[in-house]
Amino acid sequence: MTFIEIRDIKRHFTLGGSIVKALDGVSLSIERGEMLALMGPSGSGKTTLMNVVGGLDQPDAGRIIIDGEDITHFDGNRLAQYRQRQVGFVFQSFNLIASMTALQNVEFPMIFAHVSPSKRKRRAEALLKAVGLGDRMDHKPTELSGGQQQRVAMARALVNRPTILLGDEPTGNLDSHTGDEILAMLQRLNEQGQTIIMVTHDPRVASYAKRTIHMLDGLIQEDQARPSEPSLMKDAAS
Amino acid sequence: MNTRDLLRLVLSNLNRMRGRAIMTAMGVVIGTAAIVVLIALASGLQRSTTESLSSIGAVNQITVFAGFRRFGPSSDSGTEPVLTPDALDKFSKLPGVEAVTPYVSVNARNITMNRLTANVSITGLDPRAIDALGLVAEQGTNRMGTFGVIVGSRTGEQFNDPRLPRRADEPPPDLYGQTLLAELQRTNDAGEQITRKVRLHVVGVLAERGGQDDTSIYMRLADAEDLTGWLQGGRVNRDREGYQQAVVVVSDPDTTLSTTTAISDMGFTAFSATSALQQINILFAVVQAVFGGIGAISLIVAAIGIANTMIMSILERTREIGLMKAVGASNRDVMSVFLTEAGAIGLLGGIGGVLFGIGAAKIIDLIAVAYISGQNAASGSTAAAPTSLVFVPTWLPIFAILFSVFIGLAAGIYPALRAVQLNPVTALKYE
Repeated sequence: MTFIEIRDIKRHFTLGGSIVKALDGVSLSIERGEMLALMGPSGSGKTTLMNVVGGLDQPDAGRIIIDGEDITHFDGNRLAQYRQRQVGFVFQSFNLIASMTALQNVEFPMIFAHVSPSKRKRRAEALLKAVGLGDRMDHKPTELSGGQQQRVAMARALVNRPTILLGDEPTGNLDSHTGDEILAMLQRLNEQGQTIIMVTHDPRVASYAKRTIHMLDGLIQEDQARPSEPSLMKDAAS
Repeated sequence: MNTRDLLRLVLSNLNRMRGRAIMTAMGVVIGTAAIVVLIALASGLQRSTTESLSSIGAVNQITVFAGFRRFGPSSDSGTEPVLTPDALDKFSKLPGVEAVTPYVSVNARNITMNRLTANVSITGLDPRAIDALGLVAEQGTNRMGTFGVIVGSRTGEQFNDPRLPRRADEPPPDLYGQTLLAELQRTNDAGEQITRKVRLHVVGVLAERGGQDDTSIYMRLADAEDLTGWLQGGRVNRDREGYQQAVVVVSDPDTTLSTTTAISDMGFTAFSATSALQQINILFAVVQAVFGGIGAISLIVAAIGIANTMIMSILERTREIGLMKAVGASNRDVMSVFLTEAGAIGLLGGIGGVLFGIGAAKIIDLIAVAYISGQNAASGSTAAAPTSLVFVPTWLPIFAILFSVFIGLAAGIYPALRAVQLNPVTALKYE
């Protein structure tokens, strides 16, 4: 069974009187364990597609089925539950809560999932250690570098064991070296079976993915599978 | 999310906007303090009024006066009702009436005991009504004999030596078993002042009741009639002139009001502490509501402040709300976070307002009591200064805090709904 099945979805916005067709009939199947890059220029609909998969947005038409469950017409509460159980988000601007420590930021999603405090702490600590921040747990985001902040955000995204990890330009605010670290981390997660969808306009980032989808004007232009070594692609790009 | 996590999150959020939260709570503090002070003042006034009223008589006693000569058009209608023995007999036949007695005041010029003098009223009443009136002897007996009188527990305090005032630590004289000398004076037909001295033997001292009974001297009705007759130069014909005052005792205090009404309907002026208390309590309920309402207006202003602060805070935390939603917070979670924050501001303000209000009430009390005592001393009045003018009923702080929490929650509804309705996609991108 296809893990993520997107059938002819449409999403139109009205912007200043004119209709923007962010998604204009997109169909796509994604298997479990894929690492997929959504590419395309601004306004191509890649972020909207990711938001629809992540349950942050709902299509105007079409269907979206996750793991056999049709989430197209979920109400607010079921959608919140879906995000909580199935989805982890990594954002370009990290979106950490400034007043909370790294540990508290990672624990945050588990509060809404009714995880007990002791279990929360154990899981958050384990994840922060896994992303190499075992010694930075009590630091506030302002006391961390961009790369460290994004690693906290990744730990937060993974904390409820999501089936889908979504990244919206996850390296967009980082220098190339730190970006590579994050991408390598994502790749390792994918090797362990984590399904990952990234939105990017950077071909170098996309080169880490096994499959790249190019979008333009709300439509899929190209769907490429790249079985080749990412490191080779990286060299070619530079 | 569970209550503990909710409270912890709300506390950390409030701590983050500490300055603003405190300033917003100050509005609630002022409103709540206003409610507490105003209601405490009204309650204090009510308490001192009802206390002085309760001392007039027990709840099951009705004081009846002969019908007042009415002013206005109704004055010529029929005869004035007179408190004749017949009328009293009618009262005693009313349902639930236990006893009826006339109260006959004997105006003695003064009463002396050795060198001590007092100016105390002597009242004659029907010995059969003594028990029903609740006049219980603490010392001796309440059975009055011929010129054998019973006195109140504090009647002794009224006896003073005019040349040697009693020191504060000196106990008042014990009247029990003593002989009092009542001096009566009238002018005879020849225009001369004549004096009659009557020896009154104190056969009993009453238990303290906290009313005028405590400072009275009671004698048998027959003796009082004898003295009154002498004072007026001839026996009074009660069948024609009636008594000035009578007291009706009912067996069940619940029937006091209906019996009072029944007697009033006969044209007499009937009065009971119960009926007066009832009316005064209604009046004070209105006063409290009006005072509370004035305070409530300032709380409404505070509520607008809370709503304003919450809207600002939601604007500033738009991305955070987007994040909460992205990581799986339900609408209910978002709603409870912001409602609780608003409610907590109300609670903080409420607690502060209650403390501040009680403090302010106490200060007002101190100043007012000192002022009144000063006035009394200046005018030479011996009236006891009130010990307290404000009164904080137990329900008041509880009510005030609950009300301010309610105000906070109500003010938080609109901002919280705004937070709930935020689109997570746009919220996450909000700059």
